[in-house]
Amino acid sequence: MAERLANRLKDRRTELGLTQAELAERVGVTRKTVNTVENGVFTPSATLAIKLAAALELSVEQLFWIER
Amino acid sequence: MDDYMLGFLAGLAAVLVVAAIVKLLIRKKPMSVTEKAEYLSKRRARMLPMLAIIFLSQQAAFFSAVNSPAPHSAYAVKISAWLVLSIVILAALATKGFWLEPKEVRDLIDDENTRANRNEAMRWGFLFSMGGAIAVYALTLFDLSISARDAVHIVMTIGIPAALIRWGILERRAHRDG
Repeated sequence: MAERLANRLKDRRTELGLTQAELAERVGVTRKTVNTVENGVFTPSATLAIKLAAALELSVEQLFWIER
Repeated sequence: MDDYMLGFLAGLAAVLVVAAIVKLLIRKKPMSVTEKAEYLSKRRARMLPMLAIIFLSQQAAFFSAVNSPAPHSAYAVKISAWLVLSIVILAALATKGFWLEPKEVRDLIDDENTRANRNEAMRWGFLFSMGGAIAVYALTLFDLSISARDAVHIVMTIGIPAALIRWGILERRAHRDG
């Protein structure tokens, strides 16, 4: 069965009152990259996942998980 | 001046003029580094398919000129200009592009998702080029004579637009809000 990397990026970002552009600026990527990660179109590298988790004040495991 | 050199310089001048116009248009809007990167990234997504169309239309002109009794100088200018455009497109595909922009903007434009999309586009370009090369090779088996120059031209005509279109599709999809 196919596995996919699910995330709660959008929920957490909204909780913190951040826009995609603001989160992107914190992490040092473009809004497009945040958008694709949020929508599950793009699987981020470990580096980017850690940066996103740090920016959203969560652990990587809280932010991302594998869905089967 | 040699005709090929004339075409090369004409192609180079055209590229520089386009780059200067783009740079001038961007300068008019005061933007932060991230806003500029976002703006340029969106602009690139729109430009890629158009660039593929321009490239393909240039190929149509070349292939129609191959069998026509056009003067040698016109042919040489066309070939050299085409070569410049091909090199510029390949350089844009292989590097971060936007060479006239500051380093921080270029680094941001070439973020993780862009690199992944670019690699995927390059993969498509390679596969289409190899497919084209196989097709040309197969055609020669049926006594159809194709010069080495035409063969290379055909392979590039297939490979470069394939990469451009694929990159354009991926970038536009990435920009789409979901």
